[in-house]
Amino acid sequence: MNLPGRHSLLWRLAGALALFCLLLVSLHVDVGRVLIDATSYLPESTRQTLKDYAREAETAWREEGAAGVDAFVQRLQEREQVWAVVVDQHKDSLSSQTLTAEQAQRLDFVRRLEFPVGRPGGTPTFYIPFSDGNARLVMELPQRLNPRKYNELWELLLQRVLPAVLAVIVAVLLYRLLIAPLAILRRQAAALSAGDLSARLGPQVTQRKDELGELARTFDHMAERLQGTVAFQRQLLRDLSHELRTPLARLRVAGESEQDIEALRQRLAREVEEMEKLVGDALELVWLDTERPSLPLEEVDIVRLWDVLRENAGFETGWPIERMPCELPADCRVLGNLNGLAQALENILRNAIRHSPEGAVVRLAGQLDGGQWLLWIEDQGAGVAESELETIFRPFTRLSAARPGGDGFGLGLAIARSMIATQGGHLWAENARPGLRLKLRLQSV
Amino acid sequence: MNASSVSPTRILAVEDDPLLASHLQSHLMARGFDVTLSHDGSDGLRLAENEDFDLILMDILLPGTNGLVALQQLRQRRSVPVLLMSALGDEQNRIAGFSQGADDYLPKPFSLGELSVRVDAILRRVAYERREPQSSAEGNGLQFDEGRSDVAFRGDWVGLTPSEYRVLELLWRHKDEALSKPFLYQQALRRAYAQHDRSLDMHVSHIRRKLQAVGYEATRVDTVWGKGYILTQAGA
Repeated sequence: MNLPGRHSLLWRLAGALALFCLLLVSLHVDVGRVLIDATSYLPESTRQTLKDYAREAETAWREEGAAGVDAFVQRLQEREQVWAVVVDQHKDSLSSQTLTAEQAQRLDFVRRLEFPVGRPGGTPTFYIPFSDGNARLVMELPQRLNPRKYNELWELLLQRVLPAVLAVIVAVLLYRLLIAPLAILRRQAAALSAGDLSARLGPQVTQRKDELGELARTFDHMAERLQGTVAFQRQLLRDLSHELRTPLARLRVAGESEQDIEALRQRLAREVEEMEKLVGDALELVWLDTERPSLPLEEVDIVRLWDVLRENAGFETGWPIERMPCELPADCRVLGNLNGLAQALENILRNAIRHSPEGAVVRLAGQLDGGQWLLWIEDQGAGVAESELETIFRPFTRLSAARPGGDGFGLGLAIARSMIATQGGHLWAENARPGLRLKLRLQSV
Repeated sequence: MNASSVSPTRILAVEDDPLLASHLQSHLMARGFDVTLSHDGSDGLRLAENEDFDLILMDILLPGTNGLVALQQLRQRRSVPVLLMSALGDEQNRIAGFSQGADDYLPKPFSLGELSVRVDAILRRVAYERREPQSSAEGNGLQFDEGRSDVAFRGDWVGLTPSEYRVLELLWRHKDEALSKPFLYQQALRRAYAQHDRSLDMHVSHIRRKLQAVGYEATRVDTVWGKGYILTQAGA
């Protein structure tokens, strides 16, 4: 089993449980000892009560002799229901009754008031000397005065109630530790599902270093991506609707004013083709962006692919293929998806041709760079401003002022970048001065 | 090709849009096909199961029953070729369609010309599959070896892959005839053609390079822009 990291919740849970156990044991042992200490000796009030009895016995003895002692002992027994005798220093009874052998033996196990009460459960017998120091009152400790009469209750508290209370306290601590962030998570998830895409958990939870922090960061990442995707699609929908209006407007005007039926038919075919391409490209871009498809990768011969693409482009634009030279070594093989790569390169090539001046050249070159192929396609157009090198990859970006001759919809490079990205590659732009240089990094075979 | 058969080719078109359906019907009938029209999936399915058709054009997401489900049911009984038509242009639907037995897929919107090319490609492939197998051909110095899937020129093997061999052999058999991409895909690569598919172009590019490498110049593979490829005599 792999141990989780040092910030894991495991250690906090383990710590809380260890604390719980230590507290439990120490409380039990320490409090138990304090309890025993506190109940081993007679409290002052009890001693005073017993001394009062002794004084009463002494008074009875002095004033009435044995009869007085008899009466006192009887009174005492009625009041406290304990065994009691009054003896002299030779342990002879001062009452009219003599002591039995058993009682005499019992006199050997008596203790002074300052002594501990002895083993738990026993009934200790105390003696209280009279003021002359010779005779004494010997009596069992009455149960009502026993300092340990509540010990059972105390033990119940210590052994049953205390652990339960401690467990509740530890549970509350753990609950606060675990549930408070989860409550925030639940609240934000509810906000998200209610449509508030800006809902985030915030640093209070995301900065935690444990698993809950991880969960929070994952949640925030998810929300971020969701918001990005939705924003992207809304923007795309807005732009697409806007772009569709142009051919629609042309069609409407042509429908109203064009007299020549053949011209109208050609116009219709052209506008429909344009709209088809627009919708197809937009769907493709959305598919690439939202599905993030994993295209099957194969070995692709870039030199041959460029041959195919430039032949096509030549047919379309009337460019002779000599104006689209390939300066790659013949062994340039990359790991990619043929059709995806073809589409990306075709879009880049078309874009380059569109922005090329009369008689210019579009060149493909590249080199092997640390296990990857670095390819670049250069045109001899005007290039773009440094600040716009990233903008050209955004859908529906037209920099017609900077790059004249643009009649596309600005979806080509956006699709190209997504296509390259789904194949594990990277596409970016640089200014070649003059012209624009689009660079691709692709896995080598 | 259709004139050679005694009875006209029978096509069942299952399409729910009435305007598109009537255009389909009149266009295909003008080309000499016997067209039966059906406007909903379950009705079309019953027709397809009970009667003999040479080709079925079917829309996915018809009212009544899902086109793909209908196709699956039909496939359990009949092996008639099916061309799916759909506005669901995405890759997933395309793949799902084929795995359940469609022979080709035409994303909407399409032109009637494009439809004709696809229909011809499928019918031609079916006709091909019924003909007698032919032995290895030879001509203009190229030696075709079916078993080896390769051609030789002056004793040098060109080193074609099986796919490249099938493409070249097909073009050779129909010398001086422009073969459409859908037909070449159907017949040589045994799959449907899609707009962004570059496999055939790559195969042709390899064929050209390999023939050039052994010094063969008597014929060459030319591109017919917007259509397909043709094998012609050099200098012709």
